[in-house]
Amino acid sequence: MNQQLAGFAPTPVAARMENHGHSMVKVAMQSGYDLYARTGSMVAYEGFVQYEPNPPAVRQIAGQWITGEGTPLMKCTGDGLLYLADYGADVVAIDLGGDSLSVNGTNLLAFDAQLDWGVERVKGLAKFAGQGLWNVRVGGQGWVALTSRGTPIVVDCGRGEDETYVDPDALIAWSPHLKVKGKRSFKASSMIGRGSGEAYQMAFSGEGIVVVQPSEDSTDRLRVRG
Amino acid sequence: MAREFQRGHKARISDLTAGTDLYVGVQISGPGLSFDISCFGLDADERLSDDRYFIFFNQPASPEESLQLLGAQAGDTESFRVTLERIPPQIQKLSFTATLDGAGQMSQIGPGYLRIVAGGEEVARYSFDGSEFSTERAVMLGDFYVKDVWRFAAVGQGFDGGLEALLRNFGGEVLEEEEPEAPAPQAPEAAPAFAPPAFAPPPAPAPQPAQTQQAPPAPAQHIPQAPAPQQTPQGYVPPQAPHTPAPHPHAGHQGPPPPPHPTPVHAAPTMAAPLAPPAPQPGAQVPPPPPPPGPYGQPPVQHHGPPPGYGYPPPAPGGFPGQQPGPYGQPQPVAGQGGTPGVAAAFQKYREVPTGSRWTQQNSQLVRVDLGADAQPVLARQGSMVLYQGKVDFGYKGAGFAGRITGNATGQELSLMRCTGSGQVFLAENEANLHPVELQGDALCVSAENVLAFDETLAYEVRRIDGHGIPGGALFTMQFQGTGTVVVKTRGTPVVLPVTPTTFADSNAIVAWSAAAQVIVSSQVRMRRNAYPGHSGEGVNLQFRGAPGNFVVVQPYEI
Repeated sequence: MNQQLAGFAPTPVAARMENHGHSMVKVAMQSGYDLYARTGSMVAYEGFVQYEPNPPAVRQIAGQWITGEGTPLMKCTGDGLLYLADYGADVVAIDLGGDSLSVNGTNLLAFDAQLDWGVERVKGLAKFAGQGLWNVRVGGQGWVALTSRGTPIVVDCGRGEDETYVDPDALIAWSPHLKVKGKRSFKASSMIGRGSGEAYQMAFSGEGIVVVQPSEDSTDRLRVRG
Repeated sequence: MAREFQRGHKARISDLTAGTDLYVGVQISGPGLSFDISCFGLDADERLSDDRYFIFFNQPASPEESLQLLGAQAGDTESFRVTLERIPPQIQKLSFTATLDGAGQMSQIGPGYLRIVAGGEEVARYSFDGSEFSTERAVMLGDFYVKDVWRFAAVGQGFDGGLEALLRNFGGEVLEEEEPEAPAPQAPEAAPAFAPPAFAPPPAPAPQPAQTQQAPPAPAQHIPQAPAPQQTPQGYVPPQAPHTPAPHPHAGHQGPPPPPHPTPVHAAPTMAAPLAPPAPQPGAQVPPPPPPPGPYGQPPVQHHGPPPGYGYPPPAPGGFPGQQPGPYGQPQPVAGQGGTPGVAAAFQKYREVPTGSRWTQQNSQLVRVDLGADAQPVLARQGSMVLYQGKVDFGYKGAGFAGRITGNATGQELSLMRCTGSGQVFLAENEANLHPVELQGDALCVSAENVLAFDETLAYEVRRIDGHGIPGGALFTMQFQGTGTVVVKTRGTPVVLPVTPTTFADSNAIVAWSAAAQVIVSSQVRMRRNAYPGHSGEGVNLQFRGAPGNFVVVQPYEI
């Protein structure tokens, strides 16, 4: 029995964050290098890792989130291996290496605490905030783990002469220096977008990348949990 | 970012890269097979009027050195350096070819590619494998050709006759006098005469650990030939000398022709390169070619020296002061990211796949349609657009065609939108697997809920399959016919079954079937029913009948 399952044993650590399969990320925790992760995203850990929900630092930075139910982040400290997942979504671990990225809050799984980060609301998109569209801008030297429903695709925004339009439900992340605006393609006869009949997209322009997932399912699974 | 080419694709080189000093690498291999990879410089009539532009192992450079053969390196079986602006005007086309030496046929080859690297970055890749070929013994892999400007075309066409047929194709009579005539019969007799047995180790001229596929399968009598010219007692360096064809021109194919410079020279830049790929240096005689990126289009991975282990933290090259390796490791550049950290590099593997065709599968769950390719609108399921670029108009396409029937009868409504304009639209839905199916005059039936998008040029009609026990009373399918593409979505990996006299499918899991197959609803409610307490849950099946060649697609998910 062991032999058949042996293929799923963790590989030795080579980096701060690594994929274990498609939909799990393994974080090498070390004291002094803390991690913020979505509350409830831990599936296993090994070693001495402690979790602090609702950390004060987050409350300061992310006051906007706090709607009385606490922040959706927990702080993980300690030494060990931490495994995170989000209901089988694909996980993408990336080394920012000095760059920065704006991530849709729903698609943010974890990030290094030493990164510069902040919560921002996209200008002109306040009307979408009701559905939980807040985004986190992270930058600096460190790692970020994103989730994606299905294999994501990365598109160069600056390639076409026109803007790049994205279904907000499918949006995962984008380069923060892109210009963003909301666009309604709302004609009497046009109906795209899911369900509501309200057609809107986010329009990006400038040099940078946009990451989208092949699914318009943006419901926040982790938030549902207790 | 490498642009993927498929057979027949063409592009301007200026669209691929601004550089004109290009590295062209060919990887081709097969068990027990050996190949000659050469480059033909052809004139406007596609003739090899000047045989000094036939670049092969025995003539590794053209007179002004605009074309040079570099030998095997960095995972490529053979590589060339092409300096476009130095190519004389009478040369209008460069054809990169691979010919089999010895027995075999092209259908036996494993996956290979032809790639173009400029400035250390792979800009184009044409991948092929044995399934694209049959009994060919010589293939033209790709062409550079002048049509106003230099362009690249992925060709992938071959000749059964091997090198001989290839030469004849390029203007035989010149060649048969000047160049190695009828090479195949000569090789065996000449080979033993010249082979110095001392030089048995084949990889001597190019000690590259990465090239596993290269050396081992070579037939024995060929091996010694590769290093031979370099080590001949005459002492001159053969590559530059335009000496007359060697007595056994066909033999030295496997080992690379003597590389003008030992490969380790540019092993060093490759190690240091990833952060700043060196610009091509036109002045140097044979400059180290820019480090070709590793396979899969990722940033360069070192092929020389010990491979960076995945299993343990790579030895920190002194770049991380103050960070002791902790017991569980810590942030380190991963080998796969080639030392160019940053968001763009990290996302490399998820990059958009650019090709010129109308429908391009980006990954298993995303499809891109290029509306600009020919201005035909596309009908897509509403809400399936995840991203678009360019001027695209989304119009509401009434549910009239199917909705009236389906919507009323079953409550399920297929509402479509019409995408018009010019631009690229990325379509996906709910991380379902997508399968673009190209119809060329044939017909396909697709269950209505498995249609994601299709060309408006296709004629479609709704067919209704009645049956007792089918939820909603009937199964609605759309039959597509004509020329165009249908994108079918499935949950999970589907199975494609040939239609036999006993092919059954669950009406809930059926995705599509070829329209020539006849569908019969078979309810399994016979006498047996009473034999079971309750029933099996598999009430209604569809039975298919049809001539051989028909097929059924079933998904592992019951709606």
